[in-house]
Amino acid sequence: MKKSITLVFVAFLLSFNLFGQEEITLKGKELFGGLQARHIGPALMSGRIIDIENHPTNPRIIYIGAAGGGVWKSSNSGTTFSPIFDDYAQSIGVVKLDPKDPDNTIWVGTGEIWTRNSVSVGDGLYKSTDGGSNWKKVGFENSERISSIAINPNNTDEMYVGVLGALWSDSEDRGIYKSNDGGKTWNKILYIGPSTGAADVIMDPKNPSILYASMWEFRRTGWSFVSGGKTSALYKSTDSGKTWNKIHNGFPIGDLGRIAIAIAPSDSSILYSVLETGEKATNGLWKSTNAGESWEHLNNDFGLTVRPFYFSRITIDPKNPEVIVKGGLNGSISRDGGKTFKSLGQMHSDIHDIVFDINNSDVIYTGTDGGFYRSWDGGSTFEIAENLPLSQFYHISVDNETPYNVYGGLQDNGSWYGPSSSPGGVNARDWNSVGYGDGYRVLKHPTKNIIYSEMQGAQAVWRYDVENNRTRTIQPLKRKGDPDLRFNWNPPMAISAFVDDRFYMGSQFVHRSDDMGETWEVISPDLTTNDKSKQDQSQSGGLSIDNSGAEMHTTIFTIAESPLDKDVLWVGTDDGNVQITQDGGKNWTNVTENLVGIPANTWVYHIEASVHGKGTAYAVFEGHTTGDMKPYTLKTTDFGKTWTNIISDDVHGIVRNIQEDYENENLLFLGTEFGLYITIDGGKNWSKFENNMPAVAVHFIDLQKATNDLVMGTHGRGVIIIDDISPLRELNQEILAKDVHFFKTKPFTMTEESGFSGSFGSETQFVGQNKSKSARIIYYLKKRHTFGKMKMEVQDMNGNKITSLTPEKSKGINVVNWNFNTNTPKMAEGKTLSFGGFTSPRVPAGKYKIVMTKGKKTYEHIIEVKYDEKSPTTLAERKEQEELTQTLFNMVEDLAFMVYEINGTLDKAQEVIKDHPKGKKTAQKAYDALNELKKTLVVTTGDNYVATADPEIREKLGNLYSEVANDYGKVTSSRKDNFELISQELNDAKAKYKAIKNKEVKKFFSYLEKNEIELPKLKSKEEFLKKS
Amino acid sequence: MKTIKTLIVAILLIAITPVSAQTADEIINNYFENTGGADNWNKLNGLKMEAEANAQGMVIPVDIFQTKDGKQLVKINLQGQEMTQFSFDGETMWTTNFMTMAPEKSDQETTDNMKKQMKDFPSPLLNYKDKGYTVELIGSETKEGTDTFKLMLTQDPIMVDGVETSNITYYYFDKENFVPIVTETQIQQGPMKGQMSVTTLSDYEEVNGLYFPFSMNMGGQAITIKNIILNPEIDMAMFAFPETPATTEEGK
Repeated sequence: MKKSITLVFVAFLLSFNLFGQEEITLKGKELFGGLQARHIGPALMSGRIIDIENHPTNPRIIYIGAAGGGVWKSSNSGTTFSPIFDDYAQSIGVVKLDPKDPDNTIWVGTGEIWTRNSVSVGDGLYKSTDGGSNWKKVGFENSERISSIAINPNNTDEMYVGVLGALWSDSEDRGIYKSNDGGKTWNKILYIGPSTGAADVIMDPKNPSILYASMWEFRRTGWSFVSGGKTSALYKSTDSGKTWNKIHNGFPIGDLGRIAIAIAPSDSSILYSVLETGEKATNGLWKSTNAGESWEHLNNDFGLTVRPFYFSRITIDPKNPEVIVKGGLNGSISRDGGKTFKSLGQMHSDIHDIVFDINNSDVIYTGTDGGFYRSWDGGSTFEIAENLPLSQFYHISVDNETPYNVYGGLQDNGSWYGPSSSPGGVNARDWNSVGYGDGYRVLKHPTKNIIYSEMQGAQAVWRYDVENNRTRTIQPLKRKGDPDLRFNWNPPMAISAFVDDRFYMGSQFVHRSDDMGETWEVISPDLTTNDKSKQDQSQSGGLSIDNSGAEMHTTIFTIAESPLDKDVLWVGTDDGNVQITQDGGKNWTNVTENLVGIPANTWVYHIEASVHGKGTAYAVFEGHTTGDMKPYTLKTTDFGKTWTNIISDDVHGIVRNIQEDYENENLLFLGTEFGLYITIDGGKNWSKFENNMPAVAVHFIDLQKATNDLVMGTHGRGVIIIDDISPLRELNQEILAKDVHFFKTKPFTMTEESGFSGSFGSETQFVGQNKSKSARIIYYLKKRHTFGKMKMEVQDMNGNKITSLTPEKSKGINVVNWNFNTNTPKMAEGKTLSFGGFTSPRVPAGKYKIVMTKGKKTYEHIIEVKYDEKSPTTLAERKEQEELTQTLFNMVEDLAFMVYEINGTLDKAQEVIKDHPKGKKTAQKAYDALNELKKTLVVTTGDNYVATADPEIREKLGNLYSEVANDYGKVTSSRKDNFELISQELNDAKAKYKAIKNKEVKKFFSYLEKNEIELPKLKSKEEFLKKS
Repeated sequence: MKTIKTLIVAILLIAITPVSAQTADEIINNYFENTGGADNWNKLNGLKMEAEANAQGMVIPVDIFQTKDGKQLVKINLQGQEMTQFSFDGETMWTTNFMTMAPEKSDQETTDNMKKQMKDFPSPLLNYKDKGYTVELIGSETKEGTDTFKLMLTQDPIMVDGVETSNITYYYFDKENFVPIVTETQIQQGPMKGQMSVTTLSDYEEVNGLYFPFSMNMGGQAITIKNIILNPEIDMAMFAFPETPATTEEGK
């Protein structure tokens, strides 16, 4: 019976196959195989750091959690860091080590807790039990922000988690949670309400049943922020969280905002707290010397009270309860128990966390808006850690230079541009500052060496003349009769593909200038909803007014000119409008009503006007400022009359940006809060790209036209590039079904640039990876190659082998680089090495076969290699250089063979001298003659460094060979002269060798023959020179 | 049709699921069985691997020797000159200084760490429990585009710059054929410290009944194995540090 059922199934399966091939849908790493992203930073201004955690016993180990750049570990006291959390949400609230097992067990609570307007979101609590190599999510999926973790040092199964919770919506996930089983199960033990989260929970280090919790009522919308309310309070539990009591004895009555709390590690009776009260007399630092029974107000300095939502961390010297440090605009330190404060030493402003070294309180570490700092002198001076590329881009763009530059603006770190590749890698010194304040969009003028940049709310828009180093501010200003202009915190700018000097900006209106911002014209009505209830920012902030402009709302956020028609402009607003003009701004159509599946007033984050049709565009919406974390992206092909959803279930997290491919309309790139997604079928399936691509918020994507490089501005990990995405254009079902497929590639240029790259001082700096200058051989494998041989070689078009390459063997896309080299010459053996022999000649321009053998099958692909068109060298000069290289190559190998023969004969002669007294004389003569000659051929004494011997023919010949072979230009007359000389020397040596062979060696060999002693066993020249 | 297809897929999944649930030990046993059998691996006394590294068109012959009692030696040939790049005789670890071409002893900490690996031939996974190691199945991961089991091997801790540090290697076993295709270890020193050193393994071939990867890429440097000799005859003297005779009065 069983058999027959199986048979039926087999028959079913077979019949099914007859209906057609199964569609192949490869996702993620299965599809992208060996296609890797590269990171170019920058790290010189680093980015916002939320939390620092040091190891309880090993002062070398420090962890940091970044606002948008994940978790990093240092094993050298903060000198350098490595990322350890790339696959997960990069917005971090807290990092905590298990007190008993700090080498292995690490907890990470995700979701930034310094709740500025631009914060990202977290997605739960993670645990590693192997020092950060592997992570498991242990819950709190909807927590959005985890502020704190406290672990009982005596029983580490007992732990507490403070959930601050959602920033833009109510949430019942807030509160303090406790686990008694090391995080397997959790109970909510303190919950105040859906708007009041746990800003902090700390444990008395001497008595783990005593806990303090700071609860905070807060809320953000797209247009406002409120900190404070009746339910903000400081609580204490003395029974391991069973019961909680407010400890406000001495605190003012009334609403409270964010409350900072710290306990002195050396004296549990001493507590410090910073209150946000809205009243000068009660704002600021409070101290309790009786473990919270009563409080005394000590200080309301600006440094302590500034922006409580952004700075609410107090750190106490582990050895001295009188030394306390508070995060703030500059950071403040007191050495008299909080009575008086001074600012910390100079560093990047906005200090979020401070940590003392466990043994030496002179050593202080801080986390700021601009990276991680170290002080060795008790906070007087600070130095920055230089290898944390945590830069938070809002926007990026590229130009058409070679290599192209990347432009962009950063949270609190100005505007910059830098090269996509640079000698020795993209270094800190390669980046150029082009704007102050917070930076957003930075655009290069299409033809002139001019850069536009801006700061928050268009308080300044700069036009920077790079060549002449001249800057002008050109932002549109209010004219007579105009209402107040409302510029977004991150104001939109655009340039035109049709009119060189055209420059657009958006407030609630579209402003257009045709003279690079000298004169402005308003070409639209108010395109927003102009909802007045969202326009009063003067009271924003709650108890502490915080009218920075960050909450400016009902503004235009994106402007897109059609690449096919200068009169077609698309506009998206932060309050949900999509508007279009087809006549350069004379008439505008509000197409918002035609959108499908988008909740009202959802932020239009980006519109991408398509090259595939005048009426085609993509619009990206995101509703995180209402607590809506769903992905939304629509496509229209009829100027916005109808829209279709192009998001599949594959996509996780809000969408910030979309980039279309310029050739294949079905190839699209999606920037989301948790990384990059790619579709090859117009959005039916999306695949997450994770090859060296962290799950970081991708705020903006550009596709560089000449190189097909996908350039991403991430909000936490700097600029990330995927070189040449053109293979993805070819992918379709037919190709995915093939065993092997080579992708088409444009002819490769043998770039001749060769500058210098002194790396002085960059030992501990981040250096961005360069784009490879090699030929990139790109192919698809249906299956990973694991068993049997797989080889790859380059052949000329006649099938002669040029060199071997090492093939990549991943399932999916593979990339193999070939740097146009052939093989190195066989070098004569000497006492030392001849470094000239490490050079292999480049191939001449032309077509080459890539031959891949996989098991018994052979696959061929032809690539083309070109000379550098920018080179001043003529073809005739190149041919001369190539011929001379070949001549020298042959001379090097001639010499190698001569020395090989000589060595063989010398060995034989020595043998005879030793073992055959009768032949000693003849052998000795041959030996002496040959040895004398050999000393002029190769170095026979000294070493490879300062004891090096004077060069002989091998060394001189090798040097000339390598100089000529490595050069790109015409052969200099000096080299030609030198060639004459060395040729003469080699020819003389050959002649001498011939003479010795005819005389001393001949006699020696005839002695050997007569006495039936074997002649030296030597390979033929061909065999000797054979390369495997 | 669609319903039928779903049904078939569902039934197939049910049938397959119990088979694919694996323990770390099953994966390791499977690997040794599929590559020649644990007994044969246990019988192995030594290996000589004749390999080549290709660096930008320069082909460097590399000979690797390993013995069951933990001796190791790597010899390279540059421009006809043989150089012992690294050797360990069970007591002393030494390298050849590239400038002077003379042997030099490795620092004691590195040597002591090497001593801890003496029981690792031919693989630290073979009889790992007897060696005092632990193995844990971490889960599944896509490596080289391929579905793999991720195993964590914890060996005896090593010392790094005076601090005891755990010694962990991750093995990624191809789910289809149970051979490791990727291994990862954490870099413990220098500017790359904390990052993973990745080795990919492929071109598995049989040598007298045992399967070995003939192609390896270690941190970007590819090595192709040309030939493997099992239980080779090895002159044990070559592992020893070549003492340079001092020029003494008598020596003169």
